[in-house]
Amino acid sequence: MIDPMEEKLGQGVQKAPKTKKEKLGAPESRRWPIKSEFTPEMLAEMEKILPSKLNRVVAISLAGCIHCGLCSEACHYTASIPEDKTLLPAYKADRFRKWYKYRFDWAAKVFPSFVGAQPLTKELADDMYDKLWGACTMCRRCTFNCPMGVDYGMLVRAARGIMTQVGRVPKHLQETIDAHYNNGNNMAVPRDEFVETIEWIEEELQSEDGCENFKIPVDKKGAQYFLTLNPREPKYYPLTIQATAKVLNAAGVDFTISSRYWDLTNYAMFSGIDPDAKLFAQWQYEDVLRLECEYLLSGECGHGYRALRWEMPNWLGGVPFKITSMMELMADLIQKGRITLDKSVHAGKRFTYHDSCNIARSGGVLEEPRIIVRAAVDDFVEMEHNREDSFCCGGGGGALAMPEFSERRIRAGKIKAEEIRATSANVVLQSCHNCTDQLKEIVDHYGIKAKVMNLAELVAPALIL
Amino acid sequence: MPTLEIEGRTFEVDEDGFLQDPDLWNEEVAKLFAKTEGIQELTDEHWKVVHYLRNYYLEFNIAPMIRKVCKDTGFKLKKIYELFPSGPAKGACKVAGLPKPTGCV
Repeated sequence: MIDPMEEKLGQGVQKAPKTKKEKLGAPESRRWPIKSEFTPEMLAEMEKILPSKLNRVVAISLAGCIHCGLCSEACHYTASIPEDKTLLPAYKADRFRKWYKYRFDWAAKVFPSFVGAQPLTKELADDMYDKLWGACTMCRRCTFNCPMGVDYGMLVRAARGIMTQVGRVPKHLQETIDAHYNNGNNMAVPRDEFVETIEWIEEELQSEDGCENFKIPVDKKGAQYFLTLNPREPKYYPLTIQATAKVLNAAGVDFTISSRYWDLTNYAMFSGIDPDAKLFAQWQYEDVLRLECEYLLSGECGHGYRALRWEMPNWLGGVPFKITSMMELMADLIQKGRITLDKSVHAGKRFTYHDSCNIARSGGVLEEPRIIVRAAVDDFVEMEHNREDSFCCGGGGGALAMPEFSERRIRAGKIKAEEIRATSANVVLQSCHNCTDQLKEIVDHYGIKAKVMNLAELVAPALIL
Repeated sequence: MPTLEIEGRTFEVDEDGFLQDPDLWNEEVAKLFAKTEGIQELTDEHWKVVHYLRNYYLEFNIAPMIRKVCKDTGFKLKKIYELFPSGPAKGACKVAGLPKPTGCV
């Protein structure tokens, strides 16, 4: 039998369905127990969990550091706050490494202090909490500069996973994950209100010149692209959805947005709880199959792109559809001539582009954003460090969801702010919602007059329709 | 717990400046918080949004979608961003004494 809601939604613009209440997210709601202090029982539990977190990459990263110090200049925390030596990547990672060595390094059995081994005490655990949650965004810039190939991002994720498992996780970050777990998206947006929002944005889009026939199809079976969004877009900032939909319509791209698992974020990647991360990926995977789409299309979002493009196939053992992003698709549409842009719309302004770590360094999307920007503007200036060498803005790794470390986060954004200042750009472009807020905050804090916008917002007003 | 001191009054806030105890909110508090958001004076239009957010939060224990805010206050989206330059989440919700929303904000 045809589900009346599915049938209705498949046609695009329709009244919001209010009748059917399918529970999205996990069947049982949960609230992760969060602890404010490490107790001896928690430390004992961590000792039990540790071996399960030691996969090959993590074990090599823990064993491999030779303390050469090459990572020191790579980190945006040390580049921005050089006076604090406890922010050096090797020092931070050692908060975890010392404990690992105490447990697994044979030399530590004889000369623990010689190899820097330490038992897991409350003091060491507190230090680990402070440094690995609050002083690392898992941006992996140090990894690129490490002669031993130490993967700090994976090492930090493993340490965070151990701490989260015993309840020592930043409260707001975990609440974001619980919201995702309980509702199927991390801002607890109800399905009917989501669909209403998309309909509203479709109307707004249609009121723009030349866009009268543009559509934002919801739950359209067999669409080529399954577009995913960051929940902050429908909840607070829907103009980015409008801009994205405008670009896709102008190019004649056959796309749809699911009314169910449209959230591309995966904050469990930041908390290190792999079963949660896998579960969120699984929901989306099943939804892409339900709508029989050829491509899973990531919106502009750093960690979300990485979670979909690079982690999902690992977590699920491969996927039967293709995965791409708005950055790659827009560049392709420009190169194939499916959209043409009028640069005069942006005349008189200088632009720079900030590479999100998860899109560039950990994602490999380096040239596509430049193809887009060069097609849309005349005055484009690179920052001193760019592409895979770009400094983290300071907002990655879930940092924006940890208000207890906000002050340090803003201080750590200084190097990025200074590189932006040096370009004299009026607009900082980026492709990530975490970066958006952090860049807005540091630009403001360090007294730089620059607007922050994403690539769809750059392209949409310049479209020749 | 960090505190925020505005004009001699001290509030317990998280480090992003969101009020820790939403029950402590009143219109005087809103006026003080508005100043930290760069809004010197709350106009009737500001108040309409602030009261709407506040009442919605008290009823549903969550911030409303921006769609609802626009629909029920009659303001266009652009108007909301003009009224609260740091946005509906960080600006308007903070002034209305709501807790920091989950997710990427």
